[in-house]
Amino acid sequence: MRRSSVVAPLLLIGIGGLFLAHNMYPDLPLLDYLARYWPFLIILWGGLRLIEVLIWAATDKPLPARGTGGGEWVLVVLLVVFGGSLHAVRGYNGGWWPHNVTIGGLDMFGDSYDYPITAEKQASKNPHVVIESFRGNAKITGADTDTVKVSGHRTIRSLDQSGANAANGQAEFELAGDANEVIVRNNSDHLSNGSVRITAEMEIIVPRNATIEAHGRFGDFDISDINGEVQVISDNAGVRLQNLGGDARIDLKKSDIIRASGVKGIVDLKGHGHDIDLQNIGGAVTIAGAYDGVIAFHNLAKALRFNGERTDLNIEKVPGQIRMTLGDFTGTNLVGPIHISGRSRDVTVTEFTNELDISVDRGDINLRPGGVPLSKIDAQTRTGEVTLSLPPSARFALTATTSRGDVTNDFGSPIKTQNDGRGSEMLGTTGAGSPPVDLHTDHGNVTVRRASADDKTVVSATSSDNDAPREIKTLKPLKSTAPIKKTDQ
Amino acid sequence: MNGNLICAIQGPVMMLTLGILLAADQMGTYLSFGRTWPILLIVFGLFKLAQRAGATHAAQNAGMK
Repeated sequence: MRRSSVVAPLLLIGIGGLFLAHNMYPDLPLLDYLARYWPFLIILWGGLRLIEVLIWAATDKPLPARGTGGGEWVLVVLLVVFGGSLHAVRGYNGGWWPHNVTIGGLDMFGDSYDYPITAEKQASKNPHVVIESFRGNAKITGADTDTVKVSGHRTIRSLDQSGANAANGQAEFELAGDANEVIVRNNSDHLSNGSVRITAEMEIIVPRNATIEAHGRFGDFDISDINGEVQVISDNAGVRLQNLGGDARIDLKKSDIIRASGVKGIVDLKGHGHDIDLQNIGGAVTIAGAYDGVIAFHNLAKALRFNGERTDLNIEKVPGQIRMTLGDFTGTNLVGPIHISGRSRDVTVTEFTNELDISVDRGDINLRPGGVPLSKIDAQTRTGEVTLSLPPSARFALTATTSRGDVTNDFGSPIKTQNDGRGSEMLGTTGAGSPPVDLHTDHGNVTVRRASADDKTVVSATSSDNDAPREIKTLKPLKSTAPIKKTDQ
Repeated sequence: MNGNLICAIQGPVMMLTLGILLAADQMGTYLSFGRTWPILLIVFGLFKLAQRAGATHAAQNAGMK
């Protein structure tokens, strides 16, 4: 009898697990993972099969005539076609592989050579400062000055010193433009030799009223004390903004963290990334894109509009705070109208005022208004529990229904419960003109209870230290006047 | 080494090689699959050689009996 392999069932279990994870957390970027790691499926498959055959051989069990059947090869071909096209569609270019490592090339044989950067240029009181696209980190600080001053160093990775020198001459650092528009230029695109790479660590001091336009390919931006508009456009960056007097517009294809604190103007974020942490923002906040880490907001004076891949958020003001991860949303002390819609998320909103409208596909909803009088509340989930804690003196016209589940009235009069077969409902009104409160779940229980003073400690939105967004990498101290020197790898 | 075992591990080893080459392809341009694919031919050739040697060996054994 032909022995059947355990590998195929194991792979089935694995694929089943992946789809299950996707169903539980639809925000999990599963396709991204597949696009990046699919070749490892083939390696895993071949490796398991090999180990299996070797074990059979070692235990003197009959060996199969062929280790891999025709059907398996067909599957492998399908996987290659599928993975390859997914990879191309997602536009990855070695994304999962650390950016500065390529096998065999410069990083294995080359060395790093450091060259200092020092440049200063006279500027007007409010110049437009453009940082042209470069690799590396920049720290931009506003000061009471009328010059733009750049210090730091650039690191050139090359096979030998003469190659590095030539590259440094060819792609000379320059501070171009005039007093009204100062251009910080690394000229890396002037390199004709593809086997050298330049990264720069720059500390740039500009007049406080400057406007900044920074372009980058890979590296962090740390911008503080600027009164003009700040714009950052990068392929891959961490961004930290602090104490800005104007607007901030950030457009990143990829980011590990975007942190802004003390921005008087609007904040506009676009792109893909991980964590976001915004606090003390004076203008409206608009976010469009996909972020899969911890998203935190604290003290936003104007409207918050979040347009994610699967979550939409519209909140008039956030005097308190909001914390969002892939699976949940916790907000406290929010001013409405509030609109939250998402696919799979547990939503907790406490101490809110004005209208509230929540709809999620999957997830529990937990609400506690900040006080009386209530405004219109509409909360809908397909699968999940709905809990509403009302102040004892609240006036409302409640309609709470579940298609499959129980309703619990812990509020008392005037709410009445009604069971009919599988579903149940709760109705109650404090008189004509009371604001409508509609709660609904398809699968799950609905509870309405009296809010008590203890509630404040039960549901608070403070994030613990463990899962607070990561601190942005601090820029290394800059060696501004270091002589040209060779550093070993 | 017996010929059966070589036949049995040929498929898994080929699959492993293919996976490694494809993974290397994604790491960057330096080891693109366009450059490395002949390794598959080489591995396949090595297996065929090993099978041939195993078969001759078996034939000789059979001849001596």
